[in-house]
Amino acid sequence: MKYEEAMKRLEEIVSEIEDGKLDMDRIGDSLKEARELIKFCKDKLFKTDEEIKKILEADE
Amino acid sequence: METITLQELNGRVKSTLQFEMPDAYWVQAEISGISPSNQGHCYLELVEKDSSGKTFLAKAKANIWRNVWLKIKPYFEAETGESLKIGMKVLLQVTVNFHEVYGYSLWVQDIDPTYTMGDMARRRKEILDQLARDGVIGLNRELEIPLLPQRIAVISSATAAGWGDFRNQLANNVYGFRFYVKLFQAAMQGDDVERSVIAALDSVAARRDDFDLVVIIRGGGAVSELSCFDSYDLAYNIANFPLPVITGIGHERDDTVADVVAHTKVKTPTAAAEFIINRAFETASELETLARRMGDAVIGRMNAENVRLERLAQKLPSLFAVLRVRQEQLLENMWNRSLTGIRNLLTARGHRLEIIEKSISAADPALILKRGYSLTRCNGRVVKSASDLKSGDRLTTVLSDGSVESQII
Repeated sequence: MKYEEAMKRLEEIVSEIEDGKLDMDRIGDSLKEARELIKFCKDKLFKTDEEIKKILEADE
Repeated sequence: METITLQELNGRVKSTLQFEMPDAYWVQAEISGISPSNQGHCYLELVEKDSSGKTFLAKAKANIWRNVWLKIKPYFEAETGESLKIGMKVLLQVTVNFHEVYGYSLWVQDIDPTYTMGDMARRRKEILDQLARDGVIGLNRELEIPLLPQRIAVISSATAAGWGDFRNQLANNVYGFRFYVKLFQAAMQGDDVERSVIAALDSVAARRDDFDLVVIIRGGGAVSELSCFDSYDLAYNIANFPLPVITGIGHERDDTVADVVAHTKVKTPTAAAEFIINRAFETASELETLARRMGDAVIGRMNAENVRLERLAQKLPSLFAVLRVRQEQLLENMWNRSLTGIRNLLTARGHRLEIIEKSISAADPALILKRGYSLTRCNGRVVKSASDLKSGDRLTTVLSDGSVESQII
């Protein structure tokens, strides 16, 4: 997943809950998904991605 | 026939020139060659071309002696940001000289940088106009910088101070964001800038999916040598590039053509790094905001549900009370209606009893006899019709106080 997509999905979830569109039975799942998205984004921001490093270090 | 030596001839040419052209002249020319000498002089080749730019109309050597060069070099560079170089149009104040051995040359006394700047500005404008006509000038600016520009292709020279500044700035950002940089080497000054920067752009484009952003950077200096970035081909490549291009080529003056077509132009490599860090900071703040909104939204929703539930719970007793009163009223109503019904029923029955009683008492034979009626029997049977009787029948007539025997005659 890309950072942009994660942010977009997160925005969707938050708006859904804020607008009261989500029924109570699904709030738990949404909360879980949001937490995972936030973690994903934070990892992207602050943790070194060895995969990217490897790709960039490789010469074309 | 008079013969003279070459030296005499050259001497005459020299004195004729000195006599005929003693003044200093302001001359417009293009530099076609430049070679500084070890003694601190500077030797120029000047040309004038026709409008096609291919045919020479005039050519001359021009010498800038050390004492003049020491003055006009820093002045010219401070004014234009450029050093004198091949292809540059200059306005020089010269005197005309002739030397018996070295021949014809111009001695430079002064230079007017505004002429060169005007020419550079005119060339920039021509290139920009052409890019606009070709419809590419705003293309790179239309690209969106990703929310998190993290994988950065750097076009610079490995030895440039700017490259080190840029890398350190990113690596040591106070927020702890991670960035990945890869250097694509190119000349950042001199004649090879255009070709090598375009080649570097091509290398990045070949693996564009590996990168979010391109930055073209170099450290600044006293002389920025910007005119190599005023190139149509280079600008065309930048404008058409599939990733956003940031330029930070270190200058304070007018934007180069490369700056104009780039997505974003900053002054220095450090500023380019700051730009990227800021973008990441913005996106991190947005993430924080979303996380907070998420928490608030869930808590808000829970509270709202709780309030709703409590309100319902509170309403229940009063709802029941209302219900009970209503039920009680209904019951009482029914009870009253039943009572009335029974009462009415009883009254109606009473009437009927009285009537029955009355009719029963009215039918009592003793009472009838008392009123003067009598009952006639014949052979023990009640006589109801005269035709039932014949002469000689014996009748018993019952009266209220006794009976009488009689015989029909």
